[in-house]
Amino acid sequence: MSTSPALRDPATPLWWGTIVLRWVTLAFALGALLVYRSGYDRPGLAWAAFGVMAAWSLVTTLTFARESLRLRSLVVADVVVTCGVMLTSQQVLSDQQFAETAPLVTTVWASVAPLTAGARFGAVGGVLAGLVMAVCTGLARLEFDLDVARDGVLLTASGLLIGITATTARRSQATLAQAMRTEAATAERERLARSIHDSVLQVLARVRRRGAELGGEAAELARLAGEQEIALRALVSTEPSGPAGGDADLRAALQLLATPSVQVSGPAGDVRLPATVVTELVAVAKEALSNVERHAGPAAKAWVLLEDVVLTIRDDGPGIPPGRLEAAEAEGHLGVAMSIRGRVNDLGGTSTLETAPGAGTEWELRVPRPRQRRRGSR
Amino acid sequence: MTVSVMIVDDHPIWRDGVARDLAEHGFDVRATAADADAAVRIAGTVRPDVVLMDLNLGDTSGVVATRSITRDLPETRVLVLSASGEHSDVLEAVKAGASGYLVKSASVRELVDAVHRTADGDPVFTAGLAGMVLGEYRRMADAPAAGEPPPRLTERETDVLRLVAKGLTAKQIADRLVISHRTVENHVQSTLRKLQLHNRVELARYAIEHGLDREEE
Repeated sequence: MSTSPALRDPATPLWWGTIVLRWVTLAFALGALLVYRSGYDRPGLAWAAFGVMAAWSLVTTLTFARESLRLRSLVVADVVVTCGVMLTSQQVLSDQQFAETAPLVTTVWASVAPLTAGARFGAVGGVLAGLVMAVCTGLARLEFDLDVARDGVLLTASGLLIGITATTARRSQATLAQAMRTEAATAERERLARSIHDSVLQVLARVRRRGAELGGEAAELARLAGEQEIALRALVSTEPSGPAGGDADLRAALQLLATPSVQVSGPAGDVRLPATVVTELVAVAKEALSNVERHAGPAAKAWVLLEDVVLTIRDDGPGIPPGRLEAAEAEGHLGVAMSIRGRVNDLGGTSTLETAPGAGTEWELRVPRPRQRRRGSR
Repeated sequence: MTVSVMIVDDHPIWRDGVARDLAEHGFDVRATAADADAAVRIAGTVRPDVVLMDLNLGDTSGVVATRSITRDLPETRVLVLSASGEHSDVLEAVKAGASGYLVKSASVRELVDAVHRTADGDPVFTAGLAGMVLGEYRRMADAPAAGEPPPRLTERETDVLRLVAKGLTAKQIADRLVISHRTVENHVQSTLRKLQLHNRVELARYAIEHGLDREEE
C-alpha cells in the first residue's frame, strides 16, 4: 500500500502559506524600516529588532516546513517572540511618529503568528493568539483607539478563520481515513468469506450431514461441526461495524446469535438503528436466549424474529407457571424478566412476556423508531 | 411416482453429497450442474420435477437461473438450498419464482421432506423465509414506488406469516387461529404468489420502459 494520506497533516498547505507570508511581510517590514528610520528615536534598536525578525523567520521556516517539528512550544514561542519584537516599538518610535500612527517595528509581520496558532491549535488557539497580539499592539502604542481595535479585529478574525479551516481539513481527513479503513476491511472480509465458503464450510457441512447419519460418536462430532458451520457462516456474512456513535445493522448483529437450536429471522435488507440501541437489543436478546437455555431444557428450540422495530424471542419450552415471576419479584429476586424489562424501558421501548405452562415463552420487545431512519433497500 | 431431481451447486463435495443423500432416499437424481448457464440448459433437456438451487454460483447468480427455469418450465419447481447469510439473494430467488427455501444446515430428513413438498406443489416456508417475506411487504409499503402499487398482506396473512416466522408449525398455527391446516397453507401460498406476480409485472414494466423486451425476441 502506498503512503496513506491519513499519515499526513491535511493542514500542511496552510503551514506553507504562513511560511511564504512570513517572508513577504518581512520584506514589508524592511521597507517600513528604511522609510521611517530617520524619524526613529533609536534606529539601532530597530535594526536589532529586524535582525531578530529575520532570524525567527528562518527558524520557523526550517521547523514548520516539517510536520514533525510543528511543535506546540514553537507555536507559543512564535507568539511570544512576535509580541516581544512588537513591544520594542515603544523605544524605537518617536512621539511624533506615534502621533502620526506610523507603523510599529513588526508591521504586518505580526499577523503571521495568529495564523500559525490557528493552523496548530484550531479556532480557539487562533483567536487567543489574535487577542494576545491585539493587546500587544495596544501596549506598544500605549493607547487603545480605533486603529488598534481594527488591527485587533483583523488579527483575531484571521486566527479564527485559519483555525476553522485547519480543523475542518483534519475532520474531513479523519472521515476519509475511516471510510478507507472500512472499505479495506470490507474487501478483506469479502475475500475471506469467499475463501471460507469455498472450502471450510463445504467440508463442515458434509461432515455434519454424514456424521448425523452414522450416529453414535460420529453424530456428536457432526453436531460440533454443525455448530461451527453456523457460527462461521454468521461471522463471514456480518458487515464490519461503522464508526462509534453512528448507526448499525440490527439484522446482521442478531444473525450472530444463530445456533442449531436458535433460528434468527428478519428482513432481507439492513435494519439500521443507532449503534447503542443495536448493542443493547442484542444484549437483551442474548439474555432471553440464555434464559431459554437454562430453564427450557436442552431440547428446546428458540426463534428470534426481527420485524421493523419489533423483536420477538420465542421458545417451545415448558413455559413459566402463572405467578412464578411475580413470586420471584416479591421475594426480591430481580430476575431475568426484570432485567429485560428494565433495559428495554431504558431504550424508551416496551416489552411484553407471554407464557403459559406447556406453551413456551414469548418476549415481544418494541423500541421507538428513530426519526431519520434510513432503510437498506436490499 | 419417483420424484426426479436436479442439483445445482458449484461445490463438488456438497453437490455429490446431496445427490447421494437424495438417491438413498429414493429420488431420481437426473442431473447436476455447477453453474447457472448449465443449469438452465440441462434443466430444459431433462425436465426434472424439482431443481435444488444454490444461489452462490460463482459469476452468475442462481437467481437468474431460477427465473429462467420457472418461466420456461412450468412443470418444474425450484427449491433454493442455500447458505444462511445470503438473505437478499434468497428473497430475489423466491420473487423470481422459487417455491421455497431451505438452509444448507438443514438435516437430511428436513431436506427429503422439503423436496417431497416442493414436488407436490406446496411451498417450503421456513421461519427464515417468512421473516424475509414479511420484511419485503413492509419495505414495499414504506417505499413510495412508481408504477404498479405494491401488493399488500391481508390481516390474516400477516398473522400467519408472523407465526411461521416465530417457528410455529402449520398445525400449531391452525390450532391457534382456529382454522384448517389447508387454510394455513393457502395463506402462505398466497403471500408468495402475490410477491411473484408483482415481481413479474415490475420486470415487464421495466423491460418495456428500457426497450429490453425487443432484444429478448
